This record gives sequence, C-alpha cells and structure tokens, in this order.
Amino acid sequence: MADDKDVLRDVWFGRIPACFTLNQDEETEREAEPYYLLLPRVSYLTLVTDKVKKHFLRVMRAEDVGEMWFEYEGTPLKWHYPIGVLFDLHASNSILPWSITVHFKNFPGQDLLHCMSSSVVEAHFMSSIKEADALKHKSQVVNDMQKKDHKQLWMGLQNDKFEQFWAMNRKLMEYPTEEAGFRYIPFRIYQVNGTHTSTPLILESSQGTEKRYQVVIHGIEPLMETPLQWLSEHLSHPDNFLHICVVPAPSD
Amino acid sequence: MSACLLGEESFRQCCWRFLKLSDRLRDGWSWEPLQGSEEGYMRKTALRSVSVNSGPTWNPHGSRSDKESPASCHCAAATEQADVDGTHDDLDPGYDDGVVSGGGSRVLRLEYHILYSCSYMAPVLYFRASTLEGRSLSLDQVWSCVHPSFRSRLQRSPLTTITQQEHPLLGQPFFMLHPCKTEEFMRPVLQLEREQHGQMNYILTWLSAVGPLVGLDVPLKYSTLQPPASPPEACLQPS
Repeated sequence: MADDKDVLRDVWFGRIPACFTLNQDEETEREAEPYYLLLPRVSYLTLVTDKVKKHFLRVMRAEDVGEMWFEYEGTPLKWHYPIGVLFDLHASNSILPWSITVHFKNFPGQDLLHCMSSSVVEAHFMSSIKEADALKHKSQVVNDMQKKDHKQLWMGLQNDKFEQFWAMNRKLMEYPTEEAGFRYIPFRIYQVNGTHTSTPLILESSQGTEKRYQVVIHGIEPLMETPLQWLSEHLSHPDNFLHICVVPAPSD
Repeated sequence: MSACLLGEESFRQCCWRFLKLSDRLRDGWSWEPLQGSEEGYMRKTALRSVSVNSGPTWNPHGSRSDKESPASCHCAAATEQADVDGTHDDLDPGYDDGVVSGGGSRVLRLEYHILYSCSYMAPVLYFRASTLEGRSLSLDQVWSCVHPSFRSRLQRSPLTTITQQEHPLLGQPFFMLHPCKTEEFMRPVLQLEREQHGQMNYILTWLSAVGPLVGLDVPLKYSTLQPPASPPEACLQPS
C-alpha cells in the first residue's frame, strides 16, 4: 500500500484553526486577549494547549486558577476524544476559526475526565492502542513490542513526528498474508445526542429521500463502498481506532 | 486458549445467575438495562466508613499532593440496603483493622458497575466514590482507599491498574480496573474448572478476585448457597 502513504500523511497533518477565548466569568487582572492556534486533528486538547494555558495565566492570579477545561457553545469538550472528532461532532457546520472557551474554575467533574499532566494522556492513548490490538491481533503485536517501542509511538504523537510514529505503527497495521485483514476492525461511532458506541447502527437508505445524516471521518465523507480494512489502515487515528462521527446533514 | 474468554451471551447468563444469588442474600446487586437495547450492566451501591488520618496521601505517580484530607479506608462495607444480616460473616477480619486507627471517620458512598468489554471479551469493573454530600473523590483519594497490601502490586504496572475512564454506556467519568490481564489470571481457574466439570460462575469467581482491590467484598455465601435453577445452558461455553 505504498501508494497510499500520502493518505497517512494528509491524515496526520490535518489541522483545525481555533480561537481560544477566556470564559467571561473568570477573574482577571486585565483583559485577556484571545489566542489563536492550529490544532492537530489527531492529537488531544490537553496535549497541545500548554501555550494557551500560559497565555491566560499571565492575566490571572494564581489563586483563581483551577484545572483548565474547554467548552464549545455550552458543551464541555472531552479531551480524551481526538481533537478532530470533537470538531466533526460538535462544530463541523460552524465557521472557522473554531471558537473554544477556556475555563479555570467549576471543573465539570460529571462530564470530563481529569487531566493534570501529559502522563494521563499517555496512559489513555496507550490503553486505546492496546485495546485496538486486542481486537486486531489478539494483543499479540502490542505485547511483542518492547517498552521503548511503546514510548516511540507516544513520543511520535506528543512531538508530532510522523516518521517516528509510523516506523512503529506500521507493525500494528500488519496482518498475516493468508488473512484478508484484521481479526476485527476497531472503531467507535459518535453521535451528538449520545455516547460513543461499538454497536453497529443502520443508516437509513438515502435513496429517494433527503439525506438526514452524514458519516464523517477526519472531516470528510468517505464513499460508502470503501473497504473497511482500507479505512482501518489509513483513516484510523494514532490510537488505532477508526473514529466515525454521525452528524446531521447540513440543511442548505 | 480462547475458551478462557467470556462471550457476551455468557456474560449475561452469568450475571443472571449472580443476581439470583444476590437477591437471596439481599446483597444489593441489580441489572440496569440500557434503554432500547439488550445492553446493560450490573450495579451496586455501598456505604463504607473511612478513617481519616493525618498521614501523607499515598501517591502512585508522585504528582502534586492533594489538598483534600487524605482518607485511608480499609474498613468493613455495608450495603445501602439496610439489611446486611449475615452477609458479612465471612469478611476477612484483617480487613477491619483500619477502623480503630486514626482520629475521626467519615462515610463514603461507592457505586460499582460491572460491564462487558467486547474488545477484551471480559467483564470490567467500573466504580465511583463520593462523600455523602455528593462530592466526588479524586484518583489520588481513591488510591488511598486501596488496601495497602494490594497497592504495591498494582503500582508496579500503571497500565493495568486503576484509571479514570469514560463509562461506555453512561458517558460519565468512572474509575476502572483495566481488563487486559483478566484472561491471564482467569485462565488457570477456568482450566481447573473444566477438568473437574464444575458449575463455577465466571462473574462470581472474577469478582471475588478483583472486587477486594477496591473495597468490594464478595461474601463466601455466594459459593455455598445452592446455585439457582439455571436459565439456559451452563455459563462457561467455549467461545
């Protein structure tokens, strides 16, 4: 599949322009300017927003600063979903840059996982990779890797190093030549009104009727006849899951 | 080898049998169906008295120390369903030691969920803890509730241990004991079981192994009571 390496590259370097604004209710010593950032689609909010935090801490008193969290139009953003998924799920029809509100108090512990350091992101990321490999290869590939191999996957993501990541991730994408593909395809489906699920759902046939839903991966609508195995190898996130958003079709 | 995995249908049957016993023991477990689907989970809430001491919080990751008062709790649990007669006769007496030490004590509300993981083909234990006023406990505080004799063992392998995760059916933050080693530690038990043609309940055996890590005890009576007249087939079908 050497010809498709460009796809891997395009997926990895997908970016979303975002504008971070401090929540109006935060106590500040002077006015906080918004902060603009290009967010990598395949990364995690808490992994790429150190600069955002630094920027807003400059206008705040230390005692007013709790755990940082993000919100879009009233919805707390779950940092443990890849950034691209959050955008496709909540904001795909909004204008760019994506406007995200930053909070430093009233952490919504009922909705969001705590994330006090990047080691929490690492644990979450590695746990997803392990789960995906349990489905794909009965955990054989990930268990055969050494600790430094796991580290290479993580460092590749953390430092946005495409080559470093894929030199190792390639192994997770292999399957025996006598098989047609992975044992199972790891995927998660997201809908706005519910939680994500691993249970297949049936999309209504759009023949003759107006299309009500869009199936979106990395911001695009793949053709419905695309082989799942190909999708899994090329459009999976670095955590080795296909993250599929089912969102209402735009009305215009 | 794969016969040591638990199929989803077997999971449901094991839960059904477990719940029958729980009913008789008035142990407080229930089945919570997810609306509009066959999916669901087993749930139990319990109150635990926790001794509050002034010692340093045990901290697995060496991160910031918590401002909250550290709680160490290795105490007897009591089900919220008042009637606990007889169900705790079999508690390991060593487990109660913590009650006498330290100054005051307070009560925690613990909520345990048992879900099925189709990735690992194994049951998974989710739980959350809060004070009676409804304030949730942090991961550090939860860690300090793990019995000291289990801590060092869990500590060595951070990925197989307690983490905060999204509850797959509710979408809310819960703590979870990672299932990726479940098959490994269940295998010898299941093989022995098969050789002896026994009637073991996977969920019961598994829960008696992982539950005590997070203060959830499974009374011995589950094993000494006559098993319920089973629904369909035995629980341990090779998958």
